[in-house]
Amino acid sequence: MIKGADAHHVDLSFDNNVFTLETIKRALYRFADRCSFDVESADKQTKVTLHVPANIAEPGIDELCSRIRNEVLDQDLRDSISRETANIRTLILANAFSNTGLIES
Amino acid sequence: MSRLGKKFRLPQAFDQAVPGQYWMLPCRFVNLDDNRYVLTNEVGEHLVVTRPQLEQFVRKTVSFHGDFYHDLKSKHFLIDDDSNVAVDLLALKYRTKAQQISQFTALHLFVVSLRCDYTCQYCQVSRQTDDKLAYDMSQETADRALEFVFRSPSPAIKIEFQGGEPLLNFPLIQYVVDQAKRINENHDKNIQFVITTNLSLLTDDILSFCLAHDICLSTSLDGPQDLHNLNRPRPGRNGYQLTVEGIRKAQAVLGRDKVGALMTTTEASLPRVREIIDTYLSLGMDAIFLRALSPYGFAVKTGQAYKYDVDRWFEFYKEGLNYVLEINRQGYPFVELYASMIINKIFSPFGTGYVDLQSPSGMAISAIVYNYDGDIYASDEARMLAEMGDKKFRLGSVHHDSYEDVILSDTVLDTLEATLSESLPMCNDCGFLPYCGTEPVYHHATQGDAVGHKATSGFCSKNMKIFRYLFTLLEDDPEARKILLSWVRP
Repeated sequence: MIKGADAHHVDLSFDNNVFTLETIKRALYRFADRCSFDVESADKQTKVTLHVPANIAEPGIDELCSRIRNEVLDQDLRDSISRETANIRTLILANAFSNTGLIES
Repeated sequence: MSRLGKKFRLPQAFDQAVPGQYWMLPCRFVNLDDNRYVLTNEVGEHLVVTRPQLEQFVRKTVSFHGDFYHDLKSKHFLIDDDSNVAVDLLALKYRTKAQQISQFTALHLFVVSLRCDYTCQYCQVSRQTDDKLAYDMSQETADRALEFVFRSPSPAIKIEFQGGEPLLNFPLIQYVVDQAKRINENHDKNIQFVITTNLSLLTDDILSFCLAHDICLSTSLDGPQDLHNLNRPRPGRNGYQLTVEGIRKAQAVLGRDKVGALMTTTEASLPRVREIIDTYLSLGMDAIFLRALSPYGFAVKTGQAYKYDVDRWFEFYKEGLNYVLEINRQGYPFVELYASMIINKIFSPFGTGYVDLQSPSGMAISAIVYNYDGDIYASDEARMLAEMGDKKFRLGSVHHDSYEDVILSDTVLDTLEATLSESLPMCNDCGFLPYCGTEPVYHHATQGDAVGHKATSGFCSKNMKIFRYLFTLLEDDPEARKILLSWVRP
């Protein structure tokens, strides 16, 4: 961790074979109230640099990093659900709105 | 056996599904605490699960013979070879939840006067002093607004008279009620009336009219005398006395169920939630709505809207809800209305008419506002914003625009499109989505964008805290669960 004059900078890395860039970005979005990010994607890894305000409130940077890692795992599960259920979701909605005149042919 | 076989499947048919052979149905999840997640499907059925259970479910390793598998199956989180009706059932439930969208618009607010005899610091409307008749709605404007009201496809219509103080223009209220009833003879809608009033001008004649036309009264009551008068000053500093007298008188004439009250939380209210609730109890009321200040009107001009943050408000709310549960435990049925609406969204098959908890937003399709001058707004908040000079959510005018112009305006359609939670960043994969809503006017006012950035949104933060607290109560406190479930209405 590098501590600057007005912010902390912390690097996290994620294996591209395990997590997609979309998954990582979705997870980071949820922490936009606490820090900003630089994201660099290379061949094997995606590097995320956290820019955390110097006056970060509790629970602190280590806990923040831990929560981001867990959120990336959660987003990965969400991706799996979303991929598997996309078609059936469309089917349910089409069924729900059939005969309403709301479905464009 | 052969005849029975036509009606019942053979025992071996129930053993066909094998572990791993199931398909997930659309669902979302959100962490409840460090160990548990709330898993919800498209229609709001839910399960609270551990992280390992969640992993097992998604990775297809749930044991076919265990309770968890059957919970997932019975609540429509998965289908297997043995179940094929889930899609039809989910579609039916989805349609039921969304039914109200096809029956827009139920609530029509008539701002019959901007005049007011109060000078509340937190007023979310830019009231005028009570001698400026220019701020009263005319009969001509009311007639045009009524034409809009009866174009609404909704079989149930509620006309709510707002202000300022609407009783300062009571003759127009009488006119609108009479005209609406006359017009309704050709429409046969279920029509209701509400006057939102501070009650200071309440007379026996007004009450007689309300009784004759089955009109409900809704007033503001912020708590005990000193707090109420501090929040809601009026000449003579007797606002509390007039309000309490008005409530008692109206209860006696109209019945307790016809008189409701709303409170608004100021910084001075924060340490006093028990006293506020006690005030409601002392008046025989059966419910309270613990409401935070909205960032509109005088609440912004005077800085009241920014004197406390979401965390402080939530502590106030939590203490209030716990006290309400304590009152129920002592045998007195008493409801916190915001929690009640959420609990109903969790457990009832129906959607809500509450604008802030709808997707898409209930703006214009659940409630629509006719201002004193004939301008039409998408919600009460939109009108408040306009009084601050921002007419982003003005839909048109009853004098210059047709019903079609207004309902099909870009402002309405763009806002509906922008407030479908299912397509909003962070909302679209949130486990609380089926119970939540969007508030485009709030996000426009606080972030300059109707969609809003949910990571920094006070609306999102407030609702997430309340959802998590309610689910924690439902899971961990059987007595609280029983009370909360008693608030579900068919």
